[in-house]
Amino acid sequence: MQEENDAALIARAKEDPEAFGLLYERYVDSIYNYIYYRTGNHHDAEDLTARTFYRALKHISRYVDRGAPFSAWLYRIAHNLVANWHRDRSRRHIISLDELVTRALKRDEPAALAEERAEHDLLLQAVRRLPPERQQLLILKFAEQMSNAEIAEVMERTEGAIKSLYHRTLVVLRKELTHEWNGREEITERTSDE
Amino acid sequence: MNEKRVVEVLTTHAEGLIGRQEALRQINMTDEERGRLAPLFQLADQLQQSMQPVRPSAAFVRSLGKELMDNAKRQIALTKRLRRAMLIGAAALGSLLSIASVVGAVMFVVARLRARAQTRAIHAPAGRTGSAPA
Repeated sequence: MQEENDAALIARAKEDPEAFGLLYERYVDSIYNYIYYRTGNHHDAEDLTARTFYRALKHISRYVDRGAPFSAWLYRIAHNLVANWHRDRSRRHIISLDELVTRALKRDEPAALAEERAEHDLLLQAVRRLPPERQQLLILKFAEQMSNAEIAEVMERTEGAIKSLYHRTLVVLRKELTHEWNGREEITERTSDE
Repeated sequence: MNEKRVVEVLTTHAEGLIGRQEALRQINMTDEERGRLAPLFQLADQLQQSMQPVRPSAAFVRSLGKELMDNAKRQIALTKRLRRAMLIGAAALGSLLSIASVVGAVMFVVARLRARAQTRAIHAPAGRTGSAPA
């Protein structure tokens, strides 16, 4: 059986809860994935994913198809909620449960694994410090494995703009990481000298 | 190596990383290009390894799905009820307006008739209405 397309489901979702359920099932993984990489923990990813779909449900009757995919609308809702979450979080320092568990695990793991994990964490932290649209680009490209054309549709830009944004993002990220690693090495050298 | 070529090579490399190998084969990179862009390729490789797709737990998806369905049913029922109430309200208002306009029209006609009767009474010849001559 052929899957019903998004436009038909959206039209039906205004009157039929089942149709909204199908849209939810179609996009929940992608939205969760996006939010997870923007927040860095499962607890907030679940909370913000739920809020994204509640907001979508509330406003679906007013949804107007302007040619962009439905997922672009969902990503925009998620993007705004994540921005608010970052704003609230910057006001008070919160350590998530995931972070506490990770810290506890780090204490017990072998040195090589710990170093690998440190590199991985450093990279993801550097990604999270990038401007939101650059983070979105990297998440859609690597975590969602979308093509440049698909990313362009979601981010409502041209494919050329996406390609050049990717290039600029890699250059900035590399500079940032080099700077970070040099800083770490300096600290390690200083502590070993002492 | 101009910037346009750098952008093209980097994005093709990234497409290759996410399983679109045919794009990588078409680009024909020189050794010099490969050497110059090696640090950025390496960074893209690290990103690809660190940003593996993360999926929500099945329990979370199920429970949120159920909550949303319940909510959607409530929302649609509420919208229908609101629409029906608005329809009834509009019909009642329409009926009231038509009754009021009929009453208004009757009152207008009665008032006009009364006014005409009064005018006729004022302008009528005295003989016809007055007492008999002495």
